[in-house]
Amino acid sequence: MVNSSTEASVSRDTAVQIQGVNFSYGSKQVLHDVTMDIPTKQVTAFIGPSGCGKSTLIRCINRINDRIPNARITSGSIRVHDIDIHRPDINMNELRRRVGMVFQKYNPFAKSIYENVVYGLRIAGVSKRSELDEAAEKALTSAALWNEVKDRLNSSAFGLSGGQQQRLCIARVIATEPDIVLMDEPCAALDPLATLKIEELIHELKQNYTIVIVTHNMSQATRCSDRTAFMYLGNLIEYGDTMQIFENPSNPQTEAYISGRFG
Amino acid sequence: MSNQHIFQEMDHAMGTLKEKVQLMATLTCQNIRHAIQSLLAQDLDLARMVIGDDTEVDELEVKIDQMGLDILIRFHPVATDLRAVITAMKTAHNLERISDHAVNIAKRTKKICKSQSPIEVKFIEPLFIMAEKIFNDAIFAYNQGNSELGQDLHLSDKELDAAYKEVSSSLSGQLENAGSNAENILHLILVARSIERIGDLAVNIGEDSFFLSKARDIRHEQRRNQG
Repeated sequence: MVNSSTEASVSRDTAVQIQGVNFSYGSKQVLHDVTMDIPTKQVTAFIGPSGCGKSTLIRCINRINDRIPNARITSGSIRVHDIDIHRPDINMNELRRRVGMVFQKYNPFAKSIYENVVYGLRIAGVSKRSELDEAAEKALTSAALWNEVKDRLNSSAFGLSGGQQQRLCIARVIATEPDIVLMDEPCAALDPLATLKIEELIHELKQNYTIVIVTHNMSQATRCSDRTAFMYLGNLIEYGDTMQIFENPSNPQTEAYISGRFG
Repeated sequence: MSNQHIFQEMDHAMGTLKEKVQLMATLTCQNIRHAIQSLLAQDLDLARMVIGDDTEVDELEVKIDQMGLDILIRFHPVATDLRAVITAMKTAHNLERISDHAVNIAKRTKKICKSQSPIEVKFIEPLFIMAEKIFNDAIFAYNQGNSELGQDLHLSDKELDAAYKEVSSSLSGQLENAGSNAENILHLILVARSIERIGDLAVNIGEDSFFLSKARDIRHEQRRNQG
């Protein structure tokens, strides 16, 4: 992400350190003093009602919010593997390679399955066919899609089912070998079986990647995540081990939300 | 925190589940009282009634398990709600076993009533009063979410255990020279044993009530802490 090695003291257990982050869209503040450490190679789920700031927070981690006019972190810091992502010398392409993102609505490009997977590598300058082939197979295998598409790699990505298209998008992200994969409601548009396949994939991927997932599905958070953060009105209300959050939350607001007593 | 779920059908299901457990506790309490009354009064009809009434308790256990399962499937409860369902099902199981001990006492009473040898049974009553108090406290702890009471029941149970050992030892000592009353003495030893088990099972309910309120499992805690 940066050219210097001055910030080499990387914390091995913490992938993302969010410290006192306040964030606003223009004059509207949507995150209030959020502080949390996201552990490496674990799945961290963000839960909370719509508009609580969980998607905004996840989008701060790879600075994708920068694309929105007047949207900005007004104070606080975010460090990815101990590197401040708001340093002036940060390389945004490298940040977004290391912190990949999967969206709610699967969004394959109007290209072949193969070209979708190697897209990021081509952008990064990789052109050797054997290298691209190897990366494509590896990423598709990791995304549990290889056996389903290996005989039609040159077919349009749009010919795949919804669940397959979402796994293709995950393959496209992991082809660039990120450290962290952000998932913003990755199963919101999928049927229950396709959802379970993505959840199984998340379980496999955490062996190699740090995963942060935004979900409205409480059962999904309990099945998939090691840690859960509950947000409300832009505040981080409670953050802890998923089992603790769902068995015995410390905060009454968390208990009210997860047990359906909110409002 | 609002006490009501947004999905009010869940409130209804959870409320009905608790009501069934409370009904089961009332019937179980009645059964153990009738059992001991039948023994003390040598009342054969009352003993028969205890045996018959146990069926309703058995059926309630099955009903509560089914309702708990339905809630788990339909509403996916978490946190306090999940503990409430688990505790209801476990409490129902303990109540069913307590009612079984009432039946055991009633069956022994029937045999004592039918025997030709009269035997003194009054000394069993203090043991029962101790067990009944533990049982009532356990049900109160469950109903009111009184975790402290639930946690302290093992202290009363220790006293019951000591009293049981005394009674049991005294009865065993009489066996050798009991002659034709030996069989009745054996029945009374088993009655005392059932009363002692009622105390143990009531302690289980108290421990589960503590889990319900505090989300901490205190079963065998002393042994675990020593280990």
